[in-house]
Amino acid sequence: MRPLLSFERVSFYYGHRQVIAGAEFSIDAGACTALIGPNGGGKTTLLRLAAGLLQPSTGQILFEGVELLARSRRDVAQQIALVPQDLQIPFSFTVQQIVEQGRTPYLGLFGGLGASDRSAIERAIELTGIGPLRHRIFNELSGGERQRVKIALGLAQEPKLLLLDEPTQNLDFGRQMELIALIRQLRAEGVNILAAVHDLALISGTFSTVLLISPYERFRIGPPEYILQPVILERAFQCPAPNLNSLPSFDRRREFAR
Amino acid sequence: MAEKPRLDVHPTSVRTGAVVAALVLALVCTIVVGITCGAVHVSLHSMILALLHSRALSPDDRVILMEIRLPRVLAAAMVGAALSAAGLLFQGLFRNPLADPYVIGSSGGAVLGATIAMVLLPQLSWLGFSAVALLAFAGSVATIAVVYSLARVGGTTQVVTLLLAGFAVSTMLSYSSYFVEVLDRDYGLGLRVLASWLHGSVGVPQWTQLGVMGLLLSGSLSGAAILSRRLNTLALGDEYAQQLGVHVERVRIGIILTGSLLAAVAVSLGGLIGFVGLIVPHLARLIAGPDHVRLLPITVLTGASFLVLTDTLARTLMAPAEVPVGILMAFIGGPFFLYLLRRTKRGYTA
Repeated sequence: MRPLLSFERVSFYYGHRQVIAGAEFSIDAGACTALIGPNGGGKTTLLRLAAGLLQPSTGQILFEGVELLARSRRDVAQQIALVPQDLQIPFSFTVQQIVEQGRTPYLGLFGGLGASDRSAIERAIELTGIGPLRHRIFNELSGGERQRVKIALGLAQEPKLLLLDEPTQNLDFGRQMELIALIRQLRAEGVNILAAVHDLALISGTFSTVLLISPYERFRIGPPEYILQPVILERAFQCPAPNLNSLPSFDRRREFAR
Repeated sequence: MAEKPRLDVHPTSVRTGAVVAALVLALVCTIVVGITCGAVHVSLHSMILALLHSRALSPDDRVILMEIRLPRVLAAAMVGAALSAAGLLFQGLFRNPLADPYVIGSSGGAVLGATIAMVLLPQLSWLGFSAVALLAFAGSVATIAVVYSLARVGGTTQVVTLLLAGFAVSTMLSYSSYFVEVLDRDYGLGLRVLASWLHGSVGVPQWTQLGVMGLLLSGSLSGAAILSRRLNTLALGDEYAQQLGVHVERVRIGIILTGSLLAAVAVSLGGLIGFVGLIVPHLARLIAGPDHVRLLPITVLTGASFLVLTDTLARTLMAPAEVPVGILMAFIGGPFFLYLLRRTKRGYTA
């Protein structure tokens, strides 16, 4: 089967600083992938490359077998959505107005939202459970609510691949649990996800695949039980490895939270 | 539970339509008020009679109405519409509620152009355009071209660079007008006219000038209408707009071109008038919320009515003497802006 997304010997430099060196991996349709690695290790850069926002310095990135650079921006925007770490919005736009922007790749300069646009928006709002927030002003929402709205904005694009940049960052324990439940739900709905994740304990049971990117370790991709081994993590994060088995899993935490 | 039948027309667009209709009516009213008021009294009754029964006005009244007041009131409406629309475009582009029509420097070039025209070429006129109108327009457009090319590095323009380059170029140009003022041999007459221009005053344009400016205005307002949907997307930030498939640089050029053309039209007809372009978009946001598609018509109409009223006040308050409308605007607009700032504080955080 043709992979959904593949990086072929991709390197990326910011000026003279190499951020990504020879990334080589592919993600299949149906996978829910966690992207892990130390701070400054290139997770965000990798996501931005995958969304076509940055061009690789060398190598190429293929989406469904076609190079990203060969596709029009509009086409890429209909296939891939990136939910960034933070989203600053001026003026008092409401949640509904923001989610509607997700339809931009399907609209021309003229003409408003059509029936298919409205149903995509409704579905995104329903999946993320932000119906009650619809008419609230985005800037007045809490961190957890904003995170949901951002994901709804990404889902309104109806992408084949949803990229999430640290979706659980700055969320309290309860909101983290809700967000992981949402990712599981999206996975069940057939949305392909690649998410940068900091909290390694959130991975097993939720993500099918782990992608490791670190300046101290070669690129690795595989099932969680293969990547999340102390000997690999120690090198990748340059620290004594945490014993993940001693941390409560998502399901145990959720039980505890009840 | 039975489903409600779906409305074909979205309720918000019905409401916007009603607001726009009300504003059109308000604009017509302010124009009528503007034509009726002035140093010389021409009664509304005789004007209506002239319209309905083609009973001729006295020749004096006719000249006052057709050659002085109507052109001036229409010019004021155009200046108000242009400044407000330009303010809306630049506030959207810079994602900053404090941006105004002159934010990337069109005022500097306009000042230099107007100074050259008043001091060196006071007699020149062309096709009904005074030298001031022409050179202020040209100066304003040329400045934007220079600022944009200075701010463009490696195929993209950073918004902050654009602001800073605009500030620097505009300041240099407006201060260099000092060296032109030194050349003044008219014993200060030109300089007094210049001072009034700098404080903003809508002149009495020729009909040809009004026609050309009207064409430019409607052209750039159509451009703004096309860009308004993109402004909503740009509110998410340049990078997010890019990932939604928008060609951000192209949209940015479009906004800068349209906004500068609007500012140039306004400067050419009315000198430097502050505050309109800053406060009218905010006023419109209070009515219609932040959606630029709805905001644009509301902003344009409100701005036009607002300036017609202010200019009428400027003409009549100390008649037959005239207060520059920009000064009046500072007294009305300043406090109003401060009020808005305190009232809507929470909406503009982050």
